[in-house]
Amino acid sequence: MSQSKFIVRKVAVLGAGVMGAQIAAHLANANVEAILFDLPAKEGPKNGIALKAIEALKKQNPAPLSSKGRADFITPANYDEHLHLLKDCDLVIEAIAERMDWKLGLYEKVAPHLGAQTIFATNTSGLSINKLAEGCPESMRARFCGIHFFNPPRYMHLVEIIPCVTSDAEMLDQLEAFLATTLGKGVIRAKDTPNFVANRIGVYSMLAAIHNAEKFGIRFDIVDDLTGPRLGRPKSATFRTADVVGLDTFAHVVKTMQDTLPNDPWHSLFQSPQWLAKLIEAGALGAKTKVGIYKREGKTKLVLDPAAGAYVEANKKGDDAVKELMKIKDPGKRLLKLRESAHPEAQFLWACFRDVFHYIAFHLDTVADNARDVDLAIRWGFGWNEGPFETWQAAGWKQVAEWVKADIEAGKTINSSPLPAWVFERDGVHQPEGSFSASKNALVPRSKLDVYQRQLFPAQLVGEAAPVYGETVFENEGVRAWTSGDGVLVISFLSKAHAIGPAVLEGINKSIDIAEAQFKGVVVWHPEEPFSVGADLSSMLPAFMAGDWASIEKMLSDFQAMTMRLRYSQIPVVSATRGYVFGGGCEVALHSDRVVAHLESYVGLVEVGVGLLPGAGGTKEFALRAAQEARGDVFAALKDRYMTIATANVAKSAEEAKHLGFFRDSDVIVFNQYELLHVAKQQALSMAESGYRAPLKVKGFPVAGRSGAASIKGQLINMMEGGFISKHDYHIGALIADIITGGDVEAGTLVDEQWILDLERKGFLSLLKNEKTQERIAYMLQYNKPLRN
Amino acid sequence: MTKQVQEAYIVAATRTPVGKAPRGMMRFIRPDDMLAHTIREAMAQVPTLDPALVEDVIAGCAFPEAEQGLNMARISALLAGLPHTTGGLTINRYCSSGINAVQIAADRIRMGEADVVIAGGAESMSLVPMMGNKVSLNPEIFARDENLGIAYGMGLTAEKVAEQWQVSRDDQDAFAVESNRRAIAAIEGGEFKQEISPIEAIYRNPNLSTGEVEIIKKILDTDEGPRAGTNMEGLAKLKTVFAAKGSVTAGNSSQMSDGAAAVVIVSEKILKQFNLVPLARYVGFAVKGVPPEIMGIGPKEAIPAALKVAGLKQDDIAWMELNEAFAAQALAVIRDLGLDTSKVNPLGGAIALGHPLGATGAIRTATLVHGMRRHGQQGKYGMVTMCIGTGMGAAGIIQAL
Repeated sequence: MSQSKFIVRKVAVLGAGVMGAQIAAHLANANVEAILFDLPAKEGPKNGIALKAIEALKKQNPAPLSSKGRADFITPANYDEHLHLLKDCDLVIEAIAERMDWKLGLYEKVAPHLGAQTIFATNTSGLSINKLAEGCPESMRARFCGIHFFNPPRYMHLVEIIPCVTSDAEMLDQLEAFLATTLGKGVIRAKDTPNFVANRIGVYSMLAAIHNAEKFGIRFDIVDDLTGPRLGRPKSATFRTADVVGLDTFAHVVKTMQDTLPNDPWHSLFQSPQWLAKLIEAGALGAKTKVGIYKREGKTKLVLDPAAGAYVEANKKGDDAVKELMKIKDPGKRLLKLRESAHPEAQFLWACFRDVFHYIAFHLDTVADNARDVDLAIRWGFGWNEGPFETWQAAGWKQVAEWVKADIEAGKTINSSPLPAWVFERDGVHQPEGSFSASKNALVPRSKLDVYQRQLFPAQLVGEAAPVYGETVFENEGVRAWTSGDGVLVISFLSKAHAIGPAVLEGINKSIDIAEAQFKGVVVWHPEEPFSVGADLSSMLPAFMAGDWASIEKMLSDFQAMTMRLRYSQIPVVSATRGYVFGGGCEVALHSDRVVAHLESYVGLVEVGVGLLPGAGGTKEFALRAAQEARGDVFAALKDRYMTIATANVAKSAEEAKHLGFFRDSDVIVFNQYELLHVAKQQALSMAESGYRAPLKVKGFPVAGRSGAASIKGQLINMMEGGFISKHDYHIGALIADIITGGDVEAGTLVDEQWILDLERKGFLSLLKNEKTQERIAYMLQYNKPLRN
Repeated sequence: MTKQVQEAYIVAATRTPVGKAPRGMMRFIRPDDMLAHTIREAMAQVPTLDPALVEDVIAGCAFPEAEQGLNMARISALLAGLPHTTGGLTINRYCSSGINAVQIAADRIRMGEADVVIAGGAESMSLVPMMGNKVSLNPEIFARDENLGIAYGMGLTAEKVAEQWQVSRDDQDAFAVESNRRAIAAIEGGEFKQEISPIEAIYRNPNLSTGEVEIIKKILDTDEGPRAGTNMEGLAKLKTVFAAKGSVTAGNSSQMSDGAAAVVIVSEKILKQFNLVPLARYVGFAVKGVPPEIMGIGPKEAIPAALKVAGLKQDDIAWMELNEAFAAQALAVIRDLGLDTSKVNPLGGAIALGHPLGATGAIRTATLVHGMRRHGQQGKYGMVTMCIGTGMGAAGIIQAL
């Protein structure tokens, strides 16, 4: 170990605003005790402000807490009574309002209470870290730095660490390791420049979009239609993002740029447009006040028309011809076509790209250490699939550079600053050896910190060394099984959304055969989300259209045999999940020896949504687990599990998946998705090294029987008669009840796994033959959302 | 008219305050303790009466299991200090259990088989949930459509009544507002003081830092359910829980509650022998079945049936305690029978005061017995009536003395 061990036992967060409270929430999610401080309340209990903030965490959406109970691990506190608690905190994060005097006043107050080794970090997004360091007590300066989280902190991967000149180097490394592994964050080391990296460029990009929208006369709803997922960016696109962030917050960040970047050639752009100032003045601050650039009137969505100064119906979409250009596969050709098109929407899009390229190239030397940091900051902090340098490089670096240059010379750009010379001396910024640093005029490799040894396949950038996913051991249409020579066979699905069809089934079975003969263990892991959306329904279509029920039943029993093979194979099988773990994918996880789950695993047996039931052992597994958990009363242990299936309840975190019984206590939750494979392999190897033996087949387990099914139906009938579920829902629910309680047998009857698997299969087929279920499946395949019939 | 050998008189009637369940002030008080408490207090109201003469204790309970299982009536009789010679019978007809306890006790006396019987009821919905700790329905219910109503939850049946009798959400909410208004006014006016026997609640809080158990004791003497300031705007915000497009909410339904009551009933012979003051005379009772899926309409059938048994007309009833299981069913009954709303639940009903299922009949008997005397209605008739799960209605009549 090159670094000394550093354990964070407790963290204090100063400031119980939305950001402070949500940071505390994420600490609690990660098993880190958090103390949330705020000013003493003037009325009521002195911890009132922090208490209220903690209560609010339970209701916010998307949920900052991985389960509501996590809130108990956040201790409310106030500066009057609890400063002595700081001495036990290894890290203190300050997240109060962006006022230099307030912050320094607070530092003065807390300094005497900090432990000698306590790291003190500010979550400021606008103030200078060095100025804050200069103003803070001498004793704190070596252990002071900025750590800038993005909203919402549980979900946004980025954290910027901003050292000040006095920051202790080892402390920064320790902090980076803690942020990366414990909190699961993607860390960028940023320079102490205004708004740091992500906001500097991300907010500039929004301002450029606003500028160009006005220039080309594009309505805001059209801008958002064009600059969202079609560009590989979040659904909230440009203007909706401003609403979500809060227009006041957005304006504040812009103001910071205006005040602190007087010499930036783009300075004239750094002001809130008049319409924005007017909205803020009127208290229309975006999502938090329900009125912003967008608002709702009844069911109608309205958008601001800045020219008219009024709201109009938000019903306009981008031009189809332009959207066709955006779909061009070749990135170079795509940009070329947009640039060449006379359509104002295409011109607008090209201008947005170009003005960002112009800006990041011009400022790379001062804003970030290297181009990788810029791209990852934008990807992780603003949710873009691709960073701006990546887009540029993918489209052909030199060609795009010439286009930008030509536009600068033609006066089309926001200002006429020339591109820096290095742009024309290179073929790109990302190369196998590293990414370009303009300040160092060199390629900078990735960080060598120990913590990154855990990331076997970190986030990749266009132009970087292509990741080598080990050596192929077996490959078919459905899976690739590979190894890095460590005794673990990794199975990666090749199908779209990692859906499970016949080729995947066959691939898994073959891989297990191979692994039993040659490997210590198996990990099911894919280079990208999701784990799996479930069975590949479309692969059943041909047999289904031909009415070939025998083939369908065969496919189903193959699926069941595969999950049983996972359970009873002679080697440990670990499922490494992230994103959706649905249906058949969930059944794979259920039959693994262990699940290693990224916190953001969304898990559910969702078959009911398409009018089916879990037919590859999911229903069986829930019946079996209920029997194993029951202390005498199988039905009591079963009823919540039944409801989870019957309502297609989806766990919204790996922790919730444990509560709902998809994952077991022994399953492992990982906070950084890039560490997932490392941890999964460690688990597989440790099971193997511990003398793994396959579980013995369950001989007989008690079921809840026909009276259990009747009691479930009692609830269903109330839901149906109350209009909460349809008649077909009732039919499916009653069928699942009959299966999960063991069929037409008395309570307490002992059955084996195959007994319930057979019921599952028959039930599944009967539903598949049902017209209403067929409508649901067709609807899902066509519209990708469930039909309620 | 009933044939009987002697009259049955209520000489004592008392109840606990009613607490909210499952997180209310009485959440830790065992129902058998509540019942024992009310038996003791009722006997204390007739100090001259020899406890050895109490033939039986009959107590209603809707979910007689766990804390209120094992024949609670017998256990509570012994805990209350009654001699071992006194019997104990726990009975169940869900929400009418309490009034049926009174009916059975009175009938034993009217038949001449007994001279002193205590009737009552107890229910802790905090400790034993609605439907009991373990629900197990008969698979036969689902074998034929006509039996499905057996599986209907009470809220759903209220929705069915609301739909069939066209009781609007607004009307239900207005009814709930009035119930709360009356209950609050009654509490402020001290109306329940006479009938309530304050009960001690003990809260045991472990102090994890000292290792000591802190014991907090409180004397509870006031019903916990009524909400001052309940208004239409507040109720309108509540979501329907039993039907997606329904009208029944937590605000216009009865509350889950904890409570108990006991009533001492004696023969004329005992009245004279011990020089007791009769508070009321028991008059009669009737029960009627209705379809399970509209169980709430039960009192519509039971009220005329009980009146017939007693040889009375609807107008003869000066005070009616009509259990407000749901505003929807209460309004449907009131409208169909043309009941005089000023005489129905003048002190508020279960929407405000709570509804500890099997105890309610006995609790409201205590309300009626004391209330009618206090309001100068001696000689007049009073009624306790309610709907009952799986489709019944019950009504019992007394005459205030």
